[in-house]
Amino acid sequence: MNKKLSLKNAGTFLVFGGPSIFAFAAVVIIPFIVGLYLTFTNWDVRTGDSSLIGFTNYLEVFRDKVFLQQLWFTLKYVFFTVVIANVFAFFIALALTRGGRGEQWLRTGFFTPNLVGGIVLGYLWQTLFSQVLPYLGAKYGWELFQTSWLTNTGTAFWALIIATAWQLVGYLMIIYIAGFTGVPNDVLEAASIDGAGRTSVIRRIILPLTVPAIVICIFISLSRSFLTYDINLALTKGGPFNSTELATYHIVQKAFLSNQYGVGQAEAVVLFAVVAIIALTQSYLLKKLEVES
Amino acid sequence: MKLRKAASFAIALTVVTGLLAGCSKGNSANGAVKEEKGETPAAEQAAKDVKLTFFNTSAEVNTVFEELFKKYHEQNPQVTIELIPTPIGGAQLEKFQSLLASGNPATIVNLDAGTILQYKDDFLDLEPEKAKYEALTNPGAIDGALLDGQFLGIPWTAQGYGLLYNKRAVEEGIGGAFDPASVKTRDDLEAVFKKIEASGKAPVMLHGADWSLGAHYLGLTYSLQSQKVEDNRKFVEELKNGQVKLTENPQFTGLMDTFDLLKKYNARKSDPLVADYNRDSADFAKGAAAFYFMGDWSWAVIGTLEGRDADFGILPLPVSNNPEDFGNTQVAYSEPKLFAIDDSKSTPEQQEAAKAFIEWMVSSEDGQKAIITDMGLSMPYKDLKAKSTNVMSNAVSEYVKQGKIINIGVINYLPQDYWAKTGAAMQKYLVGNIDRQGLAQEVQDYWKSYAGK
Repeated sequence: MNKKLSLKNAGTFLVFGGPSIFAFAAVVIIPFIVGLYLTFTNWDVRTGDSSLIGFTNYLEVFRDKVFLQQLWFTLKYVFFTVVIANVFAFFIALALTRGGRGEQWLRTGFFTPNLVGGIVLGYLWQTLFSQVLPYLGAKYGWELFQTSWLTNTGTAFWALIIATAWQLVGYLMIIYIAGFTGVPNDVLEAASIDGAGRTSVIRRIILPLTVPAIVICIFISLSRSFLTYDINLALTKGGPFNSTELATYHIVQKAFLSNQYGVGQAEAVVLFAVVAIIALTQSYLLKKLEVES
Repeated sequence: MKLRKAASFAIALTVVTGLLAGCSKGNSANGAVKEEKGETPAAEQAAKDVKLTFFNTSAEVNTVFEELFKKYHEQNPQVTIELIPTPIGGAQLEKFQSLLASGNPATIVNLDAGTILQYKDDFLDLEPEKAKYEALTNPGAIDGALLDGQFLGIPWTAQGYGLLYNKRAVEEGIGGAFDPASVKTRDDLEAVFKKIEASGKAPVMLHGADWSLGAHYLGLTYSLQSQKVEDNRKFVEELKNGQVKLTENPQFTGLMDTFDLLKKYNARKSDPLVADYNRDSADFAKGAAAFYFMGDWSWAVIGTLEGRDADFGILPLPVSNNPEDFGNTQVAYSEPKLFAIDDSKSTPEQQEAAKAFIEWMVSSEDGQKAIITDMGLSMPYKDLKAKSTNVMSNAVSEYVKQGKIINIGVINYLPQDYWAKTGAAMQKYLVGNIDRQGLAQEVQDYWKSYAGK
């Protein structure tokens, strides 16, 4: 009987889960394993030659000073993107759950950038930064916008962050809105009867009760901004003089432009490890802050 | 009830195995093609339908190629050609490599000569076709397309670059007729620049993109060493071994002195790295800058522009103050793209059909019209059946006819990332982030990282 039941379960599982498992294996697991194998070879697409060379590629990664610099650059970029995107998303979501007029329209408006592909979005911002803003800057004498933000190492960094955060905000906002609607009304009412002000309601009630949403949002923004490639490509192309190359961009250049597949792939594995460690640690630590209402 | 469960399990199993089978089918099909190769007599297959794929890296003219394919299919119904497009300015090489790595390469490719050289084992040796194309093309065109002495790709377009000039803007600036032959040295050029600046116009447009600065500008260092590509390759080898000090190399210092001049009179002086190709080209075409360091390919943007000037020409970039020096009277010239035929997976009948199609493309009236009129490119071929509207490539052709060209073929042998890496160093130099010494150091360091490779 039990055996039959488990067979039955397996069948049901295969019907519903099989296709997804197959798809997941085909586009994630198998490529990951093949990629891992690739890091131990000196494969070259031009000749098709490949032999095992052990950990040489990984040693090369840590000798590649440019990659380590760019990994550090990526960390800075991710930090600011995550903070800015989440703070904005949180407060926009807060403002859009108060029952005001036109809320639905505004929500849609803020979400739209998320529907635009990264490449298109990058070109859009590129036009803004390199043409529209300098034009306005020259017209009205704004010092800040006299020259394109994309041609200066420092400002290009912020341009990259603004464009990414702008795209992320809408998506995170939706999750925050869902989180806020989960805050029980009676708790909020009790607080207002006790005379709590708006800030203390946010600090002492809304924030602790939306920790699950915050965990998810930070996780999503972390992994997304670590893997930003399209915006980087379209907005700055890594310039000026490679100063805004994110780790992913560097990896693609290394593999496809410099023809060092093994090293590029090893760098990708290192990046994967960094992202995994940071994302898992944050969600583990923040989960401890969760409270029941 | 039981039956339903069994059925659902069976369905699930078929779905999964079906998907898996679908996956492996592709592989076995490819294997079959390889086995077939060389066994089936070509004649038997000739009447059959042939399907060719065409990988195109000249993305801006995708539609023109597609029209050509349609026309050819009408004339030769048994041959179907499918375009594999690539995006303009991005991920072209990546796409080519992934097609190759997945065992599904295109039958015909339109690639940079340097890329074909890198993958030379995958392409068909066109030696038997060489004599035919030598008869069809301008003298030297096929020699210029040889890669390591092998004929692997058929040249179909020619490009030249140097200092483009807008005739009206220059003449208004200097207040009189402009004779391009009057500029033979750097000082001559500076005199012209000074006059133009005094008239209130920007003398020159210097495009700040890494490909322009790294490949076209700095790249001249390698091509200017000698008229022979072989010698230029030796020079690059010496760079890799660290035997060359760039700051002591007259070609490099001459080029950079001229660069300082361009930098000084640059229309984009306040923000030199903006590098908006369309805007730079349009500003030049409308006379906002008198000169433009660029090539005849910019006609693709300029030609269709409204409100542009009509007369343009090209000057060699003066690299010294001795009019006799190599480079001062020559414009850089190359055959950047070649048509090559896959030899790793394609069947002999596909290859034969590909050869016939390429020949039709470069020699028939339809093909030449498409390339010259619709794409606005110049062709290194004799008796052309179409007239070019590209004022700039016509100007380049004048130099080609007189043999006043710098053969920049050495770039075919350079590593693929040289323009991005050394272009970044040039960008730093352009904004004053590093000095001449620092630039030389960065460029030398780049080459040393390729020592022995």
